Amino acid sequence: MCVGLSAKVIEVSDGTAVVDASGARRSVSAELIEDLEPGDYVMVHAGAAIARITDDDENESSLLLEGLLK
Amino acid sequence: MNETVKRAVEIIKSSNTRDLRIMEVCGTHTHEIFRMGIRKLLPENIKLISGPGCPVCVTPVDYIDEAVMLALEKNAVICTFGDLVRVPGTSMSLALARGKGAKVVTVYSPLDATKYAEEHPSEEVVFLSVGFETTAPSDCISVKTAVRKNLKNYSVLTSNKTMPGAYRAMKDSADAFLYPGHVHAITGTGILKELLSEGVSGVVTGFTAAEITTALATVLKKTETGKPFFENCYPRVVRDEGNVAAMKIIDEFMEPCDAVWRGIGEIKNSGLKLRSKYADYDARIKFSLPVINGKPNPACRCGQVLQGKILPSDCPLFGRACTPEHPVGACMVSGEGACSAFYLYGGNK
Amino acid sequence: MDDRITLAHGAGGSQTSYLIDKVFKKNLSNPFFTADDASVLPRPEGKIAMSTDGFIVSPPFFNGGNIGKLSVCGTVNDLSCMGARPLYLTCSFIIEEGLEISLLEKAVESMAKTAEESGVVIVAGDTKVAGKGQVDKLFITTTGVGEVLPGVDLSGANAKTGDKIIVTGDIGRHGCCILLSRDDYGIDADVKSDCAPLWKSVERALNAVPDIHVIRDATRGGVGTVLYEIAAQSSVGIKLVSSAVPVSPEVRGVCGLLGLEPLYLACEGTLVMITPPDKADLLLETLHKQPYFENAQIIGEVISEDVGHVVTETEVGTETYLPKPGNELLPRIC
Repeated sequence: MCVGLSAKVIEVSDGTAVVDASGARRSVSAELIEDLEPGDYVMVHAGAAIARITDDDENESSLLLEGLLK
Repeated sequence: MNETVKRAVEIIKSSNTRDLRIMEVCGTHTHEIFRMGIRKLLPENIKLISGPGCPVCVTPVDYIDEAVMLALEKNAVICTFGDLVRVPGTSMSLALARGKGAKVVTVYSPLDATKYAEEHPSEEVVFLSVGFETTAPSDCISVKTAVRKNLKNYSVLTSNKTMPGAYRAMKDSADAFLYPGHVHAITGTGILKELLSEGVSGVVTGFTAAEITTALATVLKKTETGKPFFENCYPRVVRDEGNVAAMKIIDEFMEPCDAVWRGIGEIKNSGLKLRSKYADYDARIKFSLPVINGKPNPACRCGQVLQGKILPSDCPLFGRACTPEHPVGACMVSGEGACSAFYLYGGNK
Repeated sequence: MDDRITLAHGAGGSQTSYLIDKVFKKNLSNPFFTADDASVLPRPEGKIAMSTDGFIVSPPFFNGGNIGKLSVCGTVNDLSCMGARPLYLTCSFIIEEGLEISLLEKAVESMAKTAEESGVVIVAGDTKVAGKGQVDKLFITTTGVGEVLPGVDLSGANAKTGDKIIVTGDIGRHGCCILLSRDDYGIDADVKSDCAPLWKSVERALNAVPDIHVIRDATRGGVGTVLYEIAAQSSVGIKLVSSAVPVSPEVRGVCGLLGLEPLYLACEGTLVMITPPDKADLLLETLHKQPYFENAQIIGEVISEDVGHVVTETEVGTETYLPKPGNELLPRIC
């Protein structure tokens, strides 16, 4: 239901952030995440950063699978 | 195939768990599961059901009728996500209304709609506010922006929905849920733990091949334990507490209401509407819209598809009267709908 | 003289002559382009190929080209896809009242330059001016005649089981560039249209491998649409290895934001070629040495099953159909 794209924060000012997804840049609302800083990775949906991302999908899934097989 | 996916697929293929119905409740999951052909990995006795996870699909016909009326009779400019443009109403879609002179602007974000209103002060702009908890915060930020900038020509037509009611309505149709990752990035996992205490199992997951296959492997493994379970398989995005700021802004601008889910019916407290304090920005009030009772096609069996009782191909309309070019029912109207994905990706090829 | 087009420029009087002299003759002058009612041309020896195409693009000037360049490339590339050396081109302009003459001039200059690069001669033209709002700035229609190389037999109906499918460059750049130039979605990315005249490169490919079965340019509807067309015309199935399809990171990023599929975005300088399997390596090696084709890749093969469909191998090791391209491209949130 909710297409999201992970993107890197390039600049932040005044409740707005410019994010970059492999070369595609757009300004999005930064209002939903506190203390967003350039260099952070975020999940973007419908023009707002909705979550700060802490890992990549491969690594996280790999760790989950290890836990499962223990 | 990368190593992580390979390992997850091995677990899935070698599973000898009991018969199992797993329901995804997210259009993007439905889309990705069909696109990647994930059903073909599953043993015979494990069924994936595409539940009511596409906000466009569950939007009732009346809503499109309201939007068409706003565009054609009230001369409003409709700003909308692209998903809604082709959805059929009782007599026409917004795409058809455009041919009759309606102005329909597709936007990427509700904030683009407020920007459009600001740049076109002589036009009345209505944003079609659909979507689940993921999208509601952006909708609210757009209203907040309109309030702050004192935009008198901006309003929203709400048909926002929330998931918990849908989980409870669908819980007897499935043994476990794949919960939508981006909804719970907003709401957190509290509700899912509550459901666990009611005996409802599921895992919350992301959208890549590694994430979806890992989530399915987790469901199969956890099922073997015989106990209800909940697992967050998407912690890189979903925190237990969710996005507090996002929940706060939803609560500030919107309040729960009963909502009709196309194909399912009314679910108590499963919708969101603007609080009366912001009535000036509520298109229904601003334009005194009458109550419209849209008429869906009676032959459509979307309700049963959404509950996993039949496959899309079992519906008499599927692929004949009802195709992505000429959708009749809820599940065919958006690329994320179960019937549409089934049709486009060749079903059980 | 005013620097904008008026209805008088299309009325046939002195203003029209002025426009013809200062814009068209200045750039397109050649011995075949006369003031007579038709051009009289030498007959080519081989079979002739003929094609026509109308161009409307908003905006008419974009990163990597403009409607003038596009109008020559489009028809030149259509002829090239039939193995025909482009010889003659005619062009018809419908101009909106009020267009800056300098813009028209830029478009015509690009046409001249692109025609020269392709080795085609523009032999006739026509100009009409339409009232303000009746057209969007500038519409151009070009018609081309080419001479089919001897021994070449190209058709969308020629694909055979086992053939290899090649795409000549990274896909979707023109469609993505136009989407960005319209700035409807506030996205900024460095994507340049792939708009290019391909004849010279195609000619060298055909010289190396004369028995290529199919060449098609992946314009409107993109590579996905072309593959479905070929599958239907040749009554075959097509197996696509999605991960082998070259897409630039920027195009991928834009598509990711808007929920679009690059396989359905238009290309204006990228071709799909289908070749007998034993010639695939030679063809690929030849393509890599030609301008515009440096990034050519094998992206799949022709199969006897799944007739009329494009089948893709997915990242979890299963197969699904590539969705048949359908409606207008709309970004989605769902």
